[in-house]
Amino acid sequence: MQHRIPVETLGKEGEVMAHAIEACVHCGFCLPTCPTYVVLQEEMDSPRGRIFLMKEVLEGNLPLEEALPYLDRCLACQACVTACPSGVPYGELIAAFRLHTEEKRHRYPLERAFRLALLRTLPHPERFRPLAALGVGLKPLLKPLPLPKALRAPLELLPERLPKEAPYPEVYPAKGERKARVGLLLGCAQRVLRPSINEATLRVLQENGVEVVLLREQACCGALNLHAGDKEGARALARQNLKAFREVEYVVTNAAGCGSGMKEYPLLFLGEPEEEEARRLAAKVKDLTVILEALGFTPPPPPPRPLRVAYHDACHLAHAQGVREAPRRLLKAAGVEVLEPKEWELCCGSAGTYNLFQPEIAAALGQRKAANLKATGAELVVTGNIGCLTQIQAHLDLPVLHTAELLALLYAGKDPLLETLA
Amino acid sequence: MGFLEELRALFPPGRLLTKEAELAPYESDALTAYRKRPLAVVLPQRKEEVVEAVRLCHRHGVPFVARGSGTSLSGGSLPVEGGLVIALNRMNRILRLDPKARIAVVEPGVVNLEVSRAAAPYGLYYAPDPSSQPISTIGGNVAFNSGGAHCLKYGMTANHVLGLEVVTPEGEVVRLGGEGLEGVGPDLHGFFVGTEGLLGVALEVTLRLLPKPEAYHTLLAAYGSLEAAGETVSRILRQGLLPGAIEIMDRLAIEAAEAAVKAGYPRAEALLIVELEGPREEVAEEARVLEALIRESGAQEVRVARDEAERQAIWKGRKAAFSAVGRLSPDYIVQDGVVPRSRLAEALREIGRLSQAYGLRVANVFHAGDGNLHPLVLYDGKKPGELERAEALAGEILRLCIQLGGSLTGEHGIGVEKKAYMPEMFAKEDLEAMERVKRALDPKGLANRGKVLPEVAHGRG
Amino acid sequence: MAGVRPERVAEVQEAVRLHPRLRPRGGGTKPALSTPREGEVALDLSGLRGILAYEPEEFVFTAYAGTPLQEVEEALKAHGQYLPFHPPLAGRGATLGGTVAAGLSGPLRARYGGVRDFLLGVRFVDGEGRLVRGGGQVVKNAAGFPFHRLMVGALGAFGVMVELSFKVFPRPQATRTLRVEMESLEAALEALERLRLLPLDLLALDLVPPGRLEIRLGGFPESLRSRLERLQALLGREGEVLEEDEAHWEAVRDLAFLEESPIWAKVPAGLALIPRLEGLPLGPRRYLDGGEVLYAGLDGEGLEALRREGLPYLVLKGAEDPLFPPPPAPFFHRLKEALDPRSRFPLG
Ligand SMILES: Cc1cc2nc3c(=O)[nH]c(=O)nc-3n(C[C@H](O)[C@H](O)[C@H](O)COP(=O)(O)OP(=O)(O)OC[C@H]3O[C@@H](n4cnc5c(N)ncnc54)[C@H](O)[C@@H]3O)c2cc1C
Ligand code: SF4
Ligand code: SF4
Repeated sequence: MQHRIPVETLGKEGEVMAHAIEACVHCGFCLPTCPTYVVLQEEMDSPRGRIFLMKEVLEGNLPLEEALPYLDRCLACQACVTACPSGVPYGELIAAFRLHTEEKRHRYPLERAFRLALLRTLPHPERFRPLAALGVGLKPLLKPLPLPKALRAPLELLPERLPKEAPYPEVYPAKGERKARVGLLLGCAQRVLRPSINEATLRVLQENGVEVVLLREQACCGALNLHAGDKEGARALARQNLKAFREVEYVVTNAAGCGSGMKEYPLLFLGEPEEEEARRLAAKVKDLTVILEALGFTPPPPPPRPLRVAYHDACHLAHAQGVREAPRRLLKAAGVEVLEPKEWELCCGSAGTYNLFQPEIAAALGQRKAANLKATGAELVVTGNIGCLTQIQAHLDLPVLHTAELLALLYAGKDPLLETLA
Repeated sequence: MGFLEELRALFPPGRLLTKEAELAPYESDALTAYRKRPLAVVLPQRKEEVVEAVRLCHRHGVPFVARGSGTSLSGGSLPVEGGLVIALNRMNRILRLDPKARIAVVEPGVVNLEVSRAAAPYGLYYAPDPSSQPISTIGGNVAFNSGGAHCLKYGMTANHVLGLEVVTPEGEVVRLGGEGLEGVGPDLHGFFVGTEGLLGVALEVTLRLLPKPEAYHTLLAAYGSLEAAGETVSRILRQGLLPGAIEIMDRLAIEAAEAAVKAGYPRAEALLIVELEGPREEVAEEARVLEALIRESGAQEVRVARDEAERQAIWKGRKAAFSAVGRLSPDYIVQDGVVPRSRLAEALREIGRLSQAYGLRVANVFHAGDGNLHPLVLYDGKKPGELERAEALAGEILRLCIQLGGSLTGEHGIGVEKKAYMPEMFAKEDLEAMERVKRALDPKGLANRGKVLPEVAHGRG
Repeated sequence: MAGVRPERVAEVQEAVRLHPRLRPRGGGTKPALSTPREGEVALDLSGLRGILAYEPEEFVFTAYAGTPLQEVEEALKAHGQYLPFHPPLAGRGATLGGTVAAGLSGPLRARYGGVRDFLLGVRFVDGEGRLVRGGGQVVKNAAGFPFHRLMVGALGAFGVMVELSFKVFPRPQATRTLRVEMESLEAALEALERLRLLPLDLLALDLVPPGRLEIRLGGFPESLRSRLERLQALLGREGEVLEEDEAHWEAVRDLAFLEESPIWAKVPAGLALIPRLEGLPLGPRRYLDGGEVLYAGLDGEGLEALRREGLPYLVLKGAEDPLFPPPPAPFFHRLKEALDPRSRFPLG
């Protein structure tokens, strides 16, 4: 598509954005996979429409504030990237645009405070944990009250009780012959809300001959900040990780969003001295399922009785990292039947903090996803991302597990259905 | 009351769009070289709302454009400056699917592919398959009489529409056709299909469904030249075979499609895709004939899809080709002229010559079985004069098609883009007859004003 | 009143300008449509005949509207091609123009579609004597208003067709017909319903009530036998197999079974409607294309019954007022106004 964006004045990010806009031929192939378009059926809330809006803003034809409601509704799920035959790097476009415009946008003081509070707490487990504990404690009291939407949504996603995270030793040795030595990104909110995912991941890696080191200096991946347009916050966290993971062969991630977040470091440091190092790190980042396959998977004993599992593609695995087959193959190798829901490409509405800011759309998507998963006839749902897991669980009466959790139960010789009922 | 106030009384805030940011994304369809800012966009949810909107436009003399998914490649859904856009995407319900009668009754905003999805449990499908099938709407398909790769045997949209409910530009609601394959009286629904929204807005469409073929045989053959592939097409037809689809892609298109979906196409100057479909015994016999023929056709490489996944991969590449060309060039114009099938090789040679003469690359990907070309003229709008050169080249290709006894468009419609060429294909009397029909049904000239009919024929201010 | 018999297109135009009310006639095989009414002049188009262009390799041809179907079919047959919509009454002298104007298709429509699906283009003389073209001569074309489709079934209301272009297909190399007798109408309908949902690519699927099904297969001789066996297995009966079936189907499409009836009518049907139609006093009859359309012989009482039930019909022979119901008012009349403002042609 033609544009008149003054690229020269926008620096490196400008080039990224202009390239994406140029590549868009306005064909609309991305529309049916875009969650907001599917729900709202209006052009402004489609990838094609958003690209057009960003172009207009960058060209100076449209005030930023007018375009923001539609751009803010974008989940950055990148389903449009998978669908686009023309190769439009939409993920980079929206990330760069958000970075580029955050300072220019107006936010109401209350909203600003809420966002800031989020960005200051969520990425830091030591700050988030007490807050989450408070929320969990207050949940029964607050639930009947007519709360504002922005408060109700997060409350509903909190678990009934906050599990304990046991202290981690520094090294988890491989079982049997050591095939590789990797670092594990522990993540932020995930550690607080569901430490069992990390525990399971460690177990599964060990079972597969992988030694894991838990580097103390690591930080949250910073994706949250990056996608909220908080460049400096994101960079600070990223710098910490560049340093922490410098020496390991691979960085294993078990939350789709964190994996794709770290893969976006090069964009975050575009034109900065860290750019090269960011590229190196990004290349080392692997999702748990990818690394297991790459190193040769040792399947657990088959489930004690046949198990029908629906696999949900987390957007930041399937669309952002292109990982769809690896988890399916692992599950099949583990002896479970893998069922495919309709509309696999459609986001469940979780997308980081999305359900905090756009609760209605998030709920519509959550219900739709839950219905599609239910329709497969599965007994259990598996996915590779804590955000999806929590969101889907809120709308579905089937157990939802992380891929690692299911595998770990199988390695332990347990019946996943019995365990999840308990 | 003014037009906008009345509109406000009809549509709640979220479904009446008037702000800059709401209108901008509706400014163009898939032909972005044309842009117009409408006065407003409405998002009706029921047909009654469409009817009310049209009546309001009629009362106030405001032009309107119905819009499906905006994938028109000819500027068909380009808004009229200061006019209303009626975006039908929220009218996307399949109202009834009756397997016994083999029909589906749908709202106009239903996406083409959704019909086949809904029909699949009964072993049925909706045959016309434009490459834009995952997103283009039945309403848009009806307006353009859209076709696709698989229209060789069973025809285009017009051959699959059994009935229509339409609101005329004056706001009258009429039912045309019915629910069966045969009716009595003039084929008014057949006539409406392909009139590009100039005679009204389709509110409800009754579609015919077909049993999904039992077996497919999908073959890919690589050739050293476009002509060689084109020549093979003639031979297939001469042989008396009637495949479900015969498609050709040239080197540029192959490259682009390969980059987009990794279909695993062989690298070649030209690829021929032939798909046989039908009862398995019949397909087996046809496949034998086809194989012998292809063997003697000088193909460099031949592959046959071994399973449904391989078949889908072949088609995915073909269907992504248009958009994928966006990887090769920031801008392009797609033409879709038709030539008699025996003149295919000649037309392709001439297009190659024109491409050289104009110094612009042309990618070809087309429905060879129908003689329906799709030359994509690549250009860079940032370079001064390139758009004009590209348009001139595209125009020459259109003239070529007419000279060879063909048509300006096989399926993408005239829209705004090709209307200037209408007088080259049609005589004054033909255009005047169209104009008279338009005037009789739309005296104020409101529905899709400025499309299809060239100004010269209007003969009025 | 005496008629006119133009032999050139210009003479058609002249005739139109000259006569206030005209009734076009091709082969005269559908007298209910072509017999001049009070005040009308017969416009006999049998002089405007002949194939104008036919390149077998293109699978399209253009011919004058008055060309007898037989002439066309012979030319096609010489190149292994045919008219897949199987126009009725060819053996009795029906013409291309009459077939389009009446909108008629025969049993073989079941395979690829009816006349509306094969017509590519038209040249017609409108009510002011102007020669207008719609559509084209290539198999695919979306340019301009599709006047050719408007002509189908219009009984000449919008103009006098002078030239028509069609697409054609390769003829099946061999054919076979299976005839089975079901014990009741219900059983036959149940079988029809099943067959219609299966991808059998039948050439014809006729119901002769109450219980006879006639199913025609076409294709490679090598594959026919096993397809036939599959069909027999599906129906759970052997039936009767016609190895030589051409003459039979020719008689069917010439509507020989209606010979004795005073009134011949085409009635749009459909599986859901057949039980109702079967309750009416109709004469000899046959449902084509999986029950989609009925050709019936009847008398005045039968016609009255159809009308009373609100069931649409087109009479080909034996009635003054052939079309029921009249075309949908606002849309039709606007078009008529545009193309035949002085109401020279039928359906004024
Ligand atoms: C990548 C790509 C590939 C394509 N491939 C093909 C192909 O293979 N074959 C093909 O035929 N086309 C193809 N097209 C063109 C396009 O998809 C078709 O023309 C399609 O029918 C348009 O549908 P739409 O819903 O996008 O309609 P729009 O573009 O929104 O509208 C098209 C026209 O229909 C009118 N319209 C829409 N709804 C109604 C209604 N309810 N009543 C009356 N008028 C209405 C509009 O006013 C406009 O004139 C392709 C386009 C793209 C971008
Ligand atoms: S699919 Fe790609 S090229 Fe097409 S509109 Fe969407 S982003 Fe643009
Ligand atoms: S990233 Fe997701 S929500 Fe955003 S435009 Fe793309 S598909 Fe839509």
